[in-house]
Amino acid sequence: MKKRLASENLAGYAFISPFIIGFLAFTIIPMAVSLYLSFTSYDLFSTPVWVGLDNFKEMFTGDDKFWQSLKVTFTYVFAGVPLRLIFALIVAMLLNKASKAVGLYRTLFYLPSIIGGSVAVAIMWRNIFGNEGTLNALLFFFGIDKKILWYQDPTKALWTLIFLAIWQFGSSMLIFLAGLKNIPPSYHEAANVDGANRFQVFFKITLPLLSPIIFFNLVMQTISAFMTFTPAYIITKGEGGPLDGTLLYSLYIFQKAFNFFQMGYASAMAWVLLLIVGILTLILFKTSKFWVHYESKED
Amino acid sequence: MKTVTKDTGPLMPPTAVSYKNPRLKAKKWIYHVITGGFALLMLYPIIWLLMSSFKESSQVFITAHSLIPKPFILSNYAAGWEGIAGQSFGVFIKNSLVIVILSTIGAVASSALIAYGFARIQFKWKAFWFACMMVTMMLPHEIIMIPQYIIFAKLGWLNSIKPIVVPQYFGHAFFIFLMVQFIRNIPMELDEAARIDGCGRFSIFYRIILPLITPALATAGIFSFYWKWEDLINPVLYLNSPEKYPVSLALKLFLDSETASNWGAMFAMSVVSLLPVVLIFFLFQKYIVEGISTSGLK
Amino acid sequence: MKKLGLIALSFLLLFSLAACSTSGKETSGGKDDKITLRVAWWGGQPRHDYTMKVIEMYEKANPNVEIEAEFANFDDYWKKLAPMAAANQLPDIIQMDTAYLSQYGEKGQLEDLTKYTEDGLIDVSSIDENTLSGGKIGENMYGFNLGSNVLSVITNDDMLKSSNVELNDENWTWDDFVTMATAVQKSTGKYGTNGMNPADVFFPYYLRTQGERFYNSDGNGLSYTDDKLFVDYFNLQLELLDGEAFPTPDVQAQVKGLEDDFIVKGNAAMTWNWSNQYLGFAQLTDSPLTLNLPPEQAAETALFLKPSMYFSVPKSSEHKEEAAKFIDFFVNDVEANKLIKGDRGVPVSSKVIEAIKPELTEEETKIFEYVERASQNASQADPPDPLGSAEVMKALKDVSEQILFKKITPEEGAKTFRTQAEEILGRNK
Repeated sequence: MKKRLASENLAGYAFISPFIIGFLAFTIIPMAVSLYLSFTSYDLFSTPVWVGLDNFKEMFTGDDKFWQSLKVTFTYVFAGVPLRLIFALIVAMLLNKASKAVGLYRTLFYLPSIIGGSVAVAIMWRNIFGNEGTLNALLFFFGIDKKILWYQDPTKALWTLIFLAIWQFGSSMLIFLAGLKNIPPSYHEAANVDGANRFQVFFKITLPLLSPIIFFNLVMQTISAFMTFTPAYIITKGEGGPLDGTLLYSLYIFQKAFNFFQMGYASAMAWVLLLIVGILTLILFKTSKFWVHYESKED
Repeated sequence: MKTVTKDTGPLMPPTAVSYKNPRLKAKKWIYHVITGGFALLMLYPIIWLLMSSFKESSQVFITAHSLIPKPFILSNYAAGWEGIAGQSFGVFIKNSLVIVILSTIGAVASSALIAYGFARIQFKWKAFWFACMMVTMMLPHEIIMIPQYIIFAKLGWLNSIKPIVVPQYFGHAFFIFLMVQFIRNIPMELDEAARIDGCGRFSIFYRIILPLITPALATAGIFSFYWKWEDLINPVLYLNSPEKYPVSLALKLFLDSETASNWGAMFAMSVVSLLPVVLIFFLFQKYIVEGISTSGLK
Repeated sequence: MKKLGLIALSFLLLFSLAACSTSGKETSGGKDDKITLRVAWWGGQPRHDYTMKVIEMYEKANPNVEIEAEFANFDDYWKKLAPMAAANQLPDIIQMDTAYLSQYGEKGQLEDLTKYTEDGLIDVSSIDENTLSGGKIGENMYGFNLGSNVLSVITNDDMLKSSNVELNDENWTWDDFVTMATAVQKSTGKYGTNGMNPADVFFPYYLRTQGERFYNSDGNGLSYTDDKLFVDYFNLQLELLDGEAFPTPDVQAQVKGLEDDFIVKGNAAMTWNWSNQYLGFAQLTDSPLTLNLPPEQAAETALFLKPSMYFSVPKSSEHKEEAAKFIDFFVNDVEANKLIKGDRGVPVSSKVIEAIKPELTEEETKIFEYVERASQNASQADPPDPLGSAEVMKALKDVSEQILFKKITPEEGAKTFRTQAEEILGRNK
């Protein structure tokens, strides 16, 4: 018995050894350093000065922008992620056929994701939602004389970012497609032979078999939504405006670290974020056993 | 009347396709109108980008409403291709390709290996290492950037693509987790059957599991390609000489806050730089589409 | 099998790459008198192109020097520079900006260049002392001034004429400015002026016209004590905003670049900018434009020559003397400056200005003449921004936005800003 376990351990570590080596070489030291820095005042040029919990105290009691950025980020995540996943799933199901046109559609729907965080996207996006932009021109075309001023109102400005995230659902869609294709058609055939209707097939067969992938997308989209930086940076030119309405958490960290040279404080903020995201992820993992179903029937 | 059954995917039961059935044709039409219409809406911003690349720089924002360039010029493409400070744009594209191809091969291969370990093997402290892996995604890059930079400086890897490419060969948390989920969806019976036939761990990995997660591999490949193609912060940090710049960085050289930016050239080259990514997607997506062929299993 | 082969191949490629570049590094070391200088700057495409040519000229004149150029656009440049500084990997010559000079200089990253000007390695015989002092913090010259800019109000003369507005830039007042901007709005329906953006440039100028300054001389607090100045300045803007002669902050923020700016599109008659930006505007519009002195500059000689940018030499550089020689070439060599012209500001050497004047285009000449004219009425520029200035600027920007979005009154804004600024600058005590 013991012998088998030992060889299992060896095999396991052999397979994950690339991760461990990379982790030890490139990640663990920077992570440890950043944790240390969060207890210091560090301006990148002089030696860090130990300040204990001051950064955290300042953050929670003295920094309005900290709370604002948390509010903005939570709104962004809790509005954007579900919408994005729903669109991705619907479109994936629509495109899950074997036909030539579908291949083209798939590419078309995926295209927005590809131009991701590029400057071109930001310019384009600002142009569409601008006061003289395309969206308002469209309204005018339909006879609506009122312009929507997206960038005058902090909430509306945030929604332009959320729309951007949703527009780029292509990447989640791709993963759903991969997951859908991994469900053997034999399952569907068997169900149909048994006389199941469309909804029964979807809820009893497709969804449960897709659940590991839904879970994956949910966790990953949540994590990456919290980390969102580039689109916000480019679209708001690093300002997070108007009136800090688009001040995403990582944008604020960047401002603190590189504009104000307060790397210690920024590191403290980063670790707070890590805790928040870590706890949320843990919750997602723990509750997954209630709805996620793995075909390998492990414990 | 000949009837044929066609595979209509998981949502709908296989239907008999009769070529004289008008109701079915109508359904098809509706499908194409809705999906196609939606696709076009999604694409508007990209169409805007494309059309802007045919406009003169100074006109791009003045005529932002109209999609039609007046005059229609191709010179942006020529000007953009000339590149910056003596480097033709072709150099930038080559640099991007090298970085991206090397990274993708490394990321997908190593992640698959690691994912197999996490998904199929019970070993001590597995949960701990899995948590470590997840945590690597939760720290904002800006914070670990400087210590990482110092590590690479000490290794003498600055001004080269090594800091960008080499870490990819040690797994990427996103891909690892993705593949873990796919592998966990493969019934254990297959592993056991192979074991009875005398296959070792690596064999099971290579011959059974890997082919069954092709959609995940293809997806990871597409993602890695596109992420690395777009990656800006790493080239900014680690590549100093302009002749080493990849496309993502080069595009920003066209813009300037103080003088007139060369928007036309930038848009034109953005369109050009989109092409490889779209191509890769188009080529790889069939691996996602093909899914698993159950016949090979038993 | 094929897959394994592919993976093996890429590992091979990887390691051969590793081998290649490490061996490559050794040959360009420091043997047989060849010096490698790394020069870094930010800018746009035209600047990269001509600077590379200037570098080639220098290399030809100094065959033992090889220069590695590193350039990026403004944002990326600073993102890159900070980690380099933290890892002691800064290039030998770095382009520097007033906003960052204190941060890099007072934290020990930059070398004091005074000794090179004194021992003649950098020839300053045709450079004004005032201009040089623009790069000094206290006694240390952390940056060598490359060129001068002056604040200006650029006007679209057609729009002014059609609104019957006459502008006399020698003696116009702030009230005149408001009247004119409103007149333009009434007659053309367009903005009279752009958003005087960013606030951290124009509010300090306003203070200067009232005989006050923004930062105090020690850099640990605000200089002006009467908040009425703050209130007056913002009331002026609110008056224009209510009259629709002035854009709201969101409209101003949507300007993506010079070609999108109000004056180019014919949407504003006046724009507040630095003198060097005139060139870009002139190239983008057919309307006649003029560079005007800003309001009320005479009484308190509020105008100043601002260093547009500097070259600095990091303390960590191993080739400081060669770097100084390059700077000397850059600011004094006539042939080189025929390429540089006014892109990095009006040159600091009077000899160079005279020599390149015949080479300038009509628009470029206008800028040179304007700066010359302004310098006759100019007083000492403010010293480089003190530590913490980035935060102070952000605070001012935020307060300005809140005022212009009508979320708070100028009075409240004055108080809030003072509290925040004093707290930030107070850390320098």
